[in-house]
Amino acid sequence: MQNFTFLEPIDLLIATVLVVAAGTISVLLRLGLERSLAIAATRCVLQLGMVGLVLEKIFGIDHPLPVLAWLAVMIALAGKEAVKRARWNYRGITLDAVITMTFSAMIVGAIVTQAVIRVRPWYNPQYVIPLLGMILGNSLNGISLCLDRFTDHITSRTSEIELLLAFGATRSEAMAEPLQTAVKTGMIPIINNMSVAGIVSLPGMMTGQILAGAPPIQAVGYQIVVMFMIAAANALGSMSIASLASRRLMEPYGRLRLDRLNKSKGPRIGKGAMAGRKSHTDR
Amino acid sequence: MKKPFFYAGPFSAWVPLGRTLYEGIEIELAESTFNILKGASGCGKSTLLQQIVGMKPGTKGAKRILDGKEFDQSMLPEWRSKVTIMMQDAPLLSGTVRENLAFPFRLKNAGGRAFHWAEALRLMHETGLGHVKSEQDAGMLSGGERHRLALVRALLWSPAVILADEPLAGLDEAMAERCLALLKEYSSRPGKAVLCVLHNLDYPKATGRTFKLP
Repeated sequence: MQNFTFLEPIDLLIATVLVVAAGTISVLLRLGLERSLAIAATRCVLQLGMVGLVLEKIFGIDHPLPVLAWLAVMIALAGKEAVKRARWNYRGITLDAVITMTFSAMIVGAIVTQAVIRVRPWYNPQYVIPLLGMILGNSLNGISLCLDRFTDHITSRTSEIELLLAFGATRSEAMAEPLQTAVKTGMIPIINNMSVAGIVSLPGMMTGQILAGAPPIQAVGYQIVVMFMIAAANALGSMSIASLASRRLMEPYGRLRLDRLNKSKGPRIGKGAMAGRKSHTDR
Repeated sequence: MKKPFFYAGPFSAWVPLGRTLYEGIEIELAESTFNILKGASGCGKSTLLQQIVGMKPGTKGAKRILDGKEFDQSMLPEWRSKVTIMMQDAPLLSGTVRENLAFPFRLKNAGGRAFHWAEALRLMHETGLGHVKSEQDAGMLSGGERHRLALVRALLWSPAVILADEPLAGLDEAMAERCLALLKEYSSRPGKAVLCVLHNLDYPKATGRTFKLP
């Protein structure tokens, strides 16, 4: 990292001019976004600042426990966030999301950190935390899209599912189509992202590494690993959340339990889709 | 005492505010019989049929017996493949007419039953669906055609018991008579029985043992 330029507080202050400029545009065009922008910018500074401090501490301790504890916090928050955007929710949805996140992030994370990058020591936070963070951040979008599609399918096409059940379909047969469409939906963003990577968008991680002074070919190598890792995490995550949800929403002997679904308050999906798009560029 | 060919019950149903629709209803059907389920509108006839196949709650402690074999809750999918409900609104899968007739035969519980297109064609002709093409989008069928397609599917599937929830809805009188005759002929075969909810009991052929919900 020979070309790394350290940022001083004054540099950040200068950067504040940019967000103030955004606020000025909002005032000039009467968008009424100044308040939200100010709150968002402040939250961004505080959250990132706190994370920076925590990470500095964790990096300094050189013990697996703080790393694992931090990962647990990340998983819990990601699980909560993933279900916040769903149009429908049910009792235990957050637990399902957390189980899914743990399962997909741990499997994919272990393969990438231990077999591909061969991080030493195994818990080295410099690698483990950002990589797992990327897995979680991206499977969060996959999971939330997948859940939304799944509940949408079983609520809008209930009569088709019941028709299958009426002829003796087992739970897995009756839920096969909703599950397939949901997992497909969860996978689409990463497939799109892989196909345009480098052409339409320069992925965030690669950009970050190049900024930090890494040779571009190395940065590309890492980016490929990251894309594949996210694809695997999305596939595993979507599959697992859809199967968990299908177990909650249909009895083993095949009776739909739509009574367990509650409509979420507020129009979340527009917000979710936007947020999804935003963080896909952060990869 | 001779065991009944078909037994299901007891079933109870309540509406959300606590009013009891019915309590402790048991249904016994003899082999090769046509049976009618009667009751005022909203008295729970559809609910009862759906409870028999375990698709509605309120079935705790209920027993389901067919041909001397008892089916517990874990065997409900197999039970439904033998005691098949034709639902009131004649639902369809999105897809072609052929797909809508053939899908049950691909299920695990098909138990060796095979789909014969020639037989499907014969039944479609008999129910006045001769003009319908196999690759036609089933979603384009009219209400009456959907009900007849549902009847064709049930007869092709050939379960031991057909629970038919207003199978003649949307049919003109002549066609309704023809479809009813098909159902009655089916019910008279060995190893079969039909329990039918009929909206209009004026059909001359609508005779059989009658169950009345309160």
